[in-house]
Amino acid sequence: MDRMTRAAAQAQRSAPAETKIRLVGAAKTFRVRGSELEALRPVDLEVGREEFVALVGPSGCGKSTILNLVAGLMAPSAGRVLYDGQEVTGPNRRVGYLTQKDTLLPWRATADNIRIALELKCRATPRAEASERVAEMMDLVGLKGFEHHYPAELSGGMRKRAALARTLIYEPETLLMDEPFGALDAQLKLLMLDQLQRLTQHRRMTVIFVTHDLGEAITLADRIVVISARPGRIRAIHDVRLERPRDVFKVRFTEGFARQHERLWDELKDDIAKGTDV
Amino acid sequence: MAEPVSASAPLAFAGNRFGGGSALARTLATPGGRIGARFGLVAILLLTWQFAPAGRATQFWLSSPSLIAGTLWQWIADGTLWVHLGATLQVMSEGYVAGCAAGISIGILLGLFPRVHRVLSPFLTGFYALPKIALAPLFIILLGVGDASKIALVAITVFFLVLTNTIDGVRDVDRDIIQSLTLMGATRMEVIRKVLLWAALPWIFMGMRIAVRYAFTNTLLAELIGANRGLGFLIEYHSGNFDITGAYAAIVVLVLCSVLMTELLTRLETRVSRWRH
Repeated sequence: MDRMTRAAAQAQRSAPAETKIRLVGAAKTFRVRGSELEALRPVDLEVGREEFVALVGPSGCGKSTILNLVAGLMAPSAGRVLYDGQEVTGPNRRVGYLTQKDTLLPWRATADNIRIALELKCRATPRAEASERVAEMMDLVGLKGFEHHYPAELSGGMRKRAALARTLIYEPETLLMDEPFGALDAQLKLLMLDQLQRLTQHRRMTVIFVTHDLGEAITLADRIVVISARPGRIRAIHDVRLERPRDVFKVRFTEGFARQHERLWDELKDDIAKGTDV
Repeated sequence: MAEPVSASAPLAFAGNRFGGGSALARTLATPGGRIGARFGLVAILLLTWQFAPAGRATQFWLSSPSLIAGTLWQWIADGTLWVHLGATLQVMSEGYVAGCAAGISIGILLGLFPRVHRVLSPFLTGFYALPKIALAPLFIILLGVGDASKIALVAITVFFLVLTNTIDGVRDVDRDIIQSLTLMGATRMEVIRKVLLWAALPWIFMGMRIAVRYAFTNTLLAELIGANRGLGFLIEYHSGNFDITGAYAAIVVLVLCSVLMTELLTRLETRVSRWRH
């Protein structure tokens, strides 16, 4: 609670620092061909409302498992997962989940993919308004001109951006993102980080963002949770003391950023052997 | 057709003769050349058939292209063709539509409830494997010699083909896509309408395409067994009267129908599944 309050205060927000997401001793073991595989050691974690938390750690450390637990796509083997104080027991429809694998519908053109959330009964949107928002989103993620392309006709990075637009368009109160910008080139990544920061700040979203790019984590997050190699457990939690709004193009050249990066790197270097683009 | 021959020929010179650099081989490799070759083949066949020296007896059993064309022309002129072709197509399409509708809807249900499917699966497999034509006499007893028994036979044939494919299609859907839509707040019906149906569509189409051939075959078989109109009846009737020309004419109509149907279906499928690459 103490950490969280600090993070919220440091972010200089007026909203009360109430807990949005809470993991209490949440652990996950999988049964793989008869033997037990411990994916996540019991984890305690609190995420405040409108907080931006980044999870960093080596591949296979259980970062994605945490997201799956919060999304309610998996039940914890032990412990509890709370969302707004309520135990998560099934698919959590309050979150928008951008999985590592894009789940675009292959039979829908890009624009129709991005529109899909607005077609659902729970947020039925008039056609004209929906089209306008789709166009806005396509522009935002730099896919203008690809409205009528099918996912199979897009590059990996473009598909990722389409999936991002599809999630952002319905403005879920909480955003879970699993390495959303892994496939993008450096230039485009910065643009996307900038847009993401704007949008999440503007819409007051709560975000859990999984990445193994430390720079990305520092640029965006209020707090960075460092997770150790499998079986995953929380190794450290770092506050990011950089003022908002941050200039994603310049922040990485500031002294604060460098200090933060060094501290995180010290924390991670024993664990990370390979598979990072730090 | 030159490629398979040269690929499988064990002798080197065969490869040279069929796949090598000769002018003939190069001509056959172009689309225009291929089509030309096909027409040439048919022309040679027809001309041989027409003008090969044959005795009177052989002439009787083999008929000739000009006689067949004459008969066909007469059928077109006096309307015989349309009556019989219409009868066959009607039985076939009614059975086909009924079989498809039932196969798709029950297939989706069984795909959605895998436990029910597991219970029923041995029965379905049994019926699927059964050559449905064996049921034709049974349907005639139950429904009479009219269209109803034939439609039932076609419908049940089509049903099992489409059913099996639909179930496979629904099970083939990407679970992650369903999860992502569920998180967006989609209801069960919305998941079915927006994901399951679409994911199963290529499979359903495959079943429907295979089913056309079976529907056609079984309509004809049913007409051969007992009918007073239809293309099957035409063949049976003319053969029964030793009018070989009439039988051949009916078969020509059949071949044209099959080719046309297959072509239409392939085009439709390409249009609908444009997103597949």
